Amino acid sequence: MALLNRMDWYDLARSTNWTPSYVSDGELFPAELSGDYGLPQGAWEKYDEPYKQTYPEYVKVQREKDAGAYSVKAALERSRIFENADPGWKSVMKAHYGAIARGEYAAASAEARMMRFSPAPGMRNMATLGCLDEIRHGQMQLYFPHEHVSKDRQMDWAFKAYDTNEWAMIAARHFFDDIMMTRDAISVSIMLTFSFETGFTNMQFLGLAADAAEAGDHTFANLISSIQTDESRHAQIGGPALKILIENGKKEEAQRRVDIAVWGAWKLFSVLTGPIMDYYTPLEHRKQSFKEFMEEWIVAQFERALTDMGLELPWYWEQFLADLGETHHGMHLGSYYWRPTVWWNPAAGVTPQERAWLEEKYPGWNDTWGQCWDVIIDNVVDGNMAKAYPETLPYVCNMCQLPILGTPGKKWNVKDYPLEYKGRLYHFGSEVDRWVFQQEPERYAGHLSIVDRFLAGMIQPMDLSGALQYMNIAPGECGDDAHNYAWAEVYRAMRAQRNAG
Amino acid sequence: MTEPQQLKPLKTWSHLAARRRKPSEYEIVSANLHYNDRDPDAPYELSPGMFMNEWYKKNTFATALKHEDWNAFRDPEEVVYRTYNLMQDGQETYVFGLFDQFNQREHDQALDPRWAGTLARMYAPVRYLFHTVQMASAYVGQVSPASTITNCNYFQMADSLRWVSHTAYRTKELSTAFPDKGFARDERAYWEKDPVWQGFRELMEKTLTVWDWGEAIIVLNLIAKPAIEESVLRKLGESARHNGDMLLGLITDAQLIDSARHRRWLASFIKMALETPGNLELIQSWVAKWEPLADKAIEAYCSMLPDVADPAASAKAATRAFRHSLGL
Repeated sequence: MALLNRMDWYDLARSTNWTPSYVSDGELFPAELSGDYGLPQGAWEKYDEPYKQTYPEYVKVQREKDAGAYSVKAALERSRIFENADPGWKSVMKAHYGAIARGEYAAASAEARMMRFSPAPGMRNMATLGCLDEIRHGQMQLYFPHEHVSKDRQMDWAFKAYDTNEWAMIAARHFFDDIMMTRDAISVSIMLTFSFETGFTNMQFLGLAADAAEAGDHTFANLISSIQTDESRHAQIGGPALKILIENGKKEEAQRRVDIAVWGAWKLFSVLTGPIMDYYTPLEHRKQSFKEFMEEWIVAQFERALTDMGLELPWYWEQFLADLGETHHGMHLGSYYWRPTVWWNPAAGVTPQERAWLEEKYPGWNDTWGQCWDVIIDNVVDGNMAKAYPETLPYVCNMCQLPILGTPGKKWNVKDYPLEYKGRLYHFGSEVDRWVFQQEPERYAGHLSIVDRFLAGMIQPMDLSGALQYMNIAPGECGDDAHNYAWAEVYRAMRAQRNAG
Repeated sequence: MTEPQQLKPLKTWSHLAARRRKPSEYEIVSANLHYNDRDPDAPYELSPGMFMNEWYKKNTFATALKHEDWNAFRDPEEVVYRTYNLMQDGQETYVFGLFDQFNQREHDQALDPRWAGTLARMYAPVRYLFHTVQMASAYVGQVSPASTITNCNYFQMADSLRWVSHTAYRTKELSTAFPDKGFARDERAYWEKDPVWQGFRELMEKTLTVWDWGEAIIVLNLIAKPAIEESVLRKLGESARHNGDMLLGLITDAQLIDSARHRRWLASFIKMALETPGNLELIQSWVAKWEPLADKAIEAYCSMLPDVADPAASAKAATRAFRHSLGL
């Protein structure tokens, strides 16, 4: 035998904990950065990552993966897939890149937090590779959309979105900053890798890859499935940490972190992923409904991951399951109506055929969301466009930073969940959002939602133009109907026919 | 009322479009990626006063090491993720080729047992030291004010894991050839107690607890790493060659290729830092503060290296020559 097997030396490479004496253990691993769980010394050295990879394996495998993804891109560069894509599909890409690319790059620093501050040496090495992965995801998801910047100004938002106060980006930052940028190493492993990546990125990347392949966008399909292969490795960083916490009687702390992260992830997905899957993706390319994807990836798979780990389902699970069929329809209605405030062109997605699909996937859709869309459709058909745009702001939740909404029409259930804390009145969109705030009020209490900022006079002039300026979004970038209202023609024809008859 | 002007598509990201030249792939995917400098009051979108916001306000944005635009920093080699893997996969193929070839030639069996004892004490424990560099680079990266600076430190962190891995691999092989020397067993004890390592352990424990970004990037890259590289790479490699251990000499040479790349980004960084009046004196004050600790570490380690002429003096001189070459 000329070369050793990986496992002959793997353990040595992760036997790197030592007892400091020139500084104290608490100085080397400060509680706020490393996590303060009061575990006995040595407990973290039992950390054993299930997905093992060495440095030489990593650079080899990743080199090959990159060769694959970049060569597909190069081969298809002149194929005019973007130019010929349905406008709804372009919106999918714009929303995805803007909300995701630099967030992934930021995750490299969350991984670096685990690398530097985790008391578990195995986690430190895995997070080193995880950090590289996230640089990859940030860089690829900037390089790929950059090809399209000269064709469409909205594509600039693949880069620009994170620098703005655009409302959806405030929500995205609030969530990602909460679970990955401002937590201790162990919490990052639970909240980012276990809670978010195990469940939700699977859904975003594999679900969207399925739709992309259906839509013929092989570059995008290839890109995001390649990214997912990295996620499935580094998403396993959190599991062994949870195991150690549970074994040492810290299940409650672990569970709380999971519950907070899963709820925030759900809310963000309800505005980002729900509309693109159920409304923007052309009907003929929809592989499954958003709810079906969620049930497959989050409910079936993630539920099992939780229970395998010895954790409970989050206390709000019943409500979450019910919301799977509702919240994102409201988010879509809102982002469509307030479309000048987003950097993509929302597709209405409400032709008669699409409505039939929605009714089939979400029984009762026509009696609830459909009633609101009837009004929008009438205004568009009447040419009453002023009424098809907003004049006021929605009220947004002080936790998820997204509009407070419920189900309209026959099921009307819109409700505010207020809370007074240190003399300030906060508003939440759900019991769970309010509960998250109450777990650690000081993390959130000093933050102003975009509506709080508006009411405080920080957005001037106090109208849509002032709001757009504040969000750093201008004509040429502002969203409008993806299909330039072509979908309304069929309703116009239906009305003409009715009138004639 | 006139219609506001419609923004037109640009040739590149709007933040790069003002300049006339075409951006490289490196710039497209590396520059201005951090978003925590939007709001000086709240780097992250949460309560301005929460712990981590205060941490970044203090340690990243209020450091004494100032520059009007750290985001203008460019890695002179423009390393991006995919070129990093191309480069390091090639390097690893080379190193593992060495492992393979020297193993076939029964290299370890031919080593003098006394040299094997030296390796157990002076070489195998170095994985702890390399791991501290991995950790310190991860910290400097996560608090750097510009993504282009962050990335250099993250690649350096990964390179440190590479060095840890080489050491672990060789430690295991040596434990088979010399079962009585304590390989794969005694490294932690050497690292924690043996006088040869205490200088480096003190240096790195203290380096790892410098939270101010400006001081941390200087101490790690200008003081600690040069001391480590001149000692446990260059001088240990020399000692190895004098003791018939060609393999170790070749491994340290391969690692010095990484180190040379780190020094090239550092040189650009220092050049940029010196554009701001006051930074020269500030950096010099940090060097003056930390150099004695690094010198002590070099002396403790190098004085025990066999068969190298005056290793401590020449290692110390090399660290100074490097700093001098950067205008310090």
